[in-house]
Amino acid sequence: MMGTGVDGAMIGGEAILGARGLTKRFGAMCAANSIDYHLGPKEMAGIIGPNGAGKTTVFNLLTGVYAPDQGSVFFDGREITRLSPQQRVKLGIRRTFQLASTFDNLRVIDNLRLAYYHKQRQGRCSLGGMCSADLGEVRDESIDECLEQLELSKAAHLPVASLPLGSKRKLELAMALIGAPRVLLLDEPFAGLSEMEIGQIVAMLRHRCTRRMAVLIIEHKITWLKDLVDRISVLVNGEIIADGDYQTVLDSPVTRKSYWRVE
Amino acid sequence: MMRLLKTYGTILLVFAGVGVLRLALPGAFLIHVTIFSIYTMAFSFLMGRLGLVSFGQPAYMGIAAYGTGLYLHYFGTNPLLGMMVGIIAGVAFAGVIGGLFVRLSSSYFTLANLALCAIGFFVFQRALVHITRGDTGLWYLGRMERWPLLNFRDPDHFLTFALIVAAGIWIVVKGLDRSVFGAACLAVKANERKLQFLGYNTYRIKWLGFVMANSIAAVAGTLYAVYFGFVSPAIMDVLRAPEVVVVGLLGGVGSLYGPLIGTFVYIAMQDLVSAIFVYWELVVGTMLVLVMMAGERGIASLLESAPRLLRMRARHDRSSAG
Repeated sequence: MMGTGVDGAMIGGEAILGARGLTKRFGAMCAANSIDYHLGPKEMAGIIGPNGAGKTTVFNLLTGVYAPDQGSVFFDGREITRLSPQQRVKLGIRRTFQLASTFDNLRVIDNLRLAYYHKQRQGRCSLGGMCSADLGEVRDESIDECLEQLELSKAAHLPVASLPLGSKRKLELAMALIGAPRVLLLDEPFAGLSEMEIGQIVAMLRHRCTRRMAVLIIEHKITWLKDLVDRISVLVNGEIIADGDYQTVLDSPVTRKSYWRVE
Repeated sequence: MMRLLKTYGTILLVFAGVGVLRLALPGAFLIHVTIFSIYTMAFSFLMGRLGLVSFGQPAYMGIAAYGTGLYLHYFGTNPLLGMMVGIIAGVAFAGVIGGLFVRLSSSYFTLANLALCAIGFFVFQRALVHITRGDTGLWYLGRMERWPLLNFRDPDHFLTFALIVAAGIWIVVKGLDRSVFGAACLAVKANERKLQFLGYNTYRIKWLGFVMANSIAAVAGTLYAVYFGFVSPAIMDVLRAPEVVVVGLLGGVGSLYGPLIGTFVYIAMQDLVSAIFVYWELVVGTMLVLVMMAGERGIASLLESAPRLLRMRARHDRSSAG
């Protein structure tokens, strides 16, 4: 295996997000089995794996939704295993969800304003401040820029509930990006989207994230990651079985055997 | 100027409407509608903005009513001061209870509130009987001070006073809807986890929303207390807990007009229709089912969408005729 785990090749120096011996069991099933993983500060990486391999579990462990049974999570050289999801967001870890996760009862632009307001206040959102702040006055170029780039400008004042899935996913990505994260975790961002929409998201990620932040993408299909990520890891049954650049992973006999089940 | 008129025009319209109705309807009926719609606004705030359904609203209203009642019965004679005492009691109570209850997930929140209401009823009827005089209640109508411009025993004075209070609350809630906090409340309702992952502390948002809603309920409670000049445990009877839920759903939660319309229809049934038709609850029940079947948005949204539907119908008729 090339570039695996701790001593793996990392773009931009020391790891910003790391896991050591991360283990999580649900009853008899081991969703994450002693996972070592490191993500470089400006690296764009992917994790692929079949359904039920434990991809989302890894995200939930990294973002603090679950506490691991064993092992630890590191961020920027500091252990964050015991921090709540919210505290991790404050450090700059943002994620999207497998099921497009937006506020359907608000307008598109208000979704982005909520995301931006928190960033603008640098996490110091007092209740009094929130009550006296006019939502319409929460304005920023980054909001308009995101809307434009994802071709959501026309839908800006529509309720999110009226949007198709593709637009919701784009909106969710925009909400995460507006927070100017240091690490962005994307859980199957392309699922259920058309080629064109996938193209828009890929372009957006390239434009906004490359060399600016660390991005980790979970995907079911490896093809979408081909031209996007620097490094791919393969997760099967809660274990990382291969790690390296696209071609290395694709050619790796381990991957071929346990992921594609070909000899 | 236009913007002011747009914002507050509705309130002027409601005032004018009540003035006209006053010519035909008894003051007591309109006062009841006004106070109850404040009470419904509280429920509507909780359910429509935070997604919290409470079956214990009489408790929050009752605590405030007792605050006012105890003050006016034992200590003072100034009804406005009495209202202040009641509201402070209600807000403090909601602050403490909210801290515990908003942690609960939805159905447990609903039931914990119901239990709270049952406890409240017991406490004021039995446990504190030497202070509250149990079912006999506290009477202080004669003790309350009267002023030339504000005499609580004059229905027109009281109606005007209650309407101004209701309008004040309405303006505050409308203002909140435009704030970041208002959007955050709706976001909690739609997707609490997502809001947490934007970095917001949703527990604190829910707590403040809960306290705000029940402060409104407290205002309704103190208004009842000074209007009747009397308070008894009946105000927090558990059996009356679903009442505000029915009224809220009938009018439509979340919208600003919903509570007003729902209350008007409900009290009209209770006070006016019941004189002609004894089984008025049957009418209310049937109406509620029909309104729910028509899209779960309440009468207010049906009225809002009615002109649009009619226009569509007209266009359809024209096109099929042509």
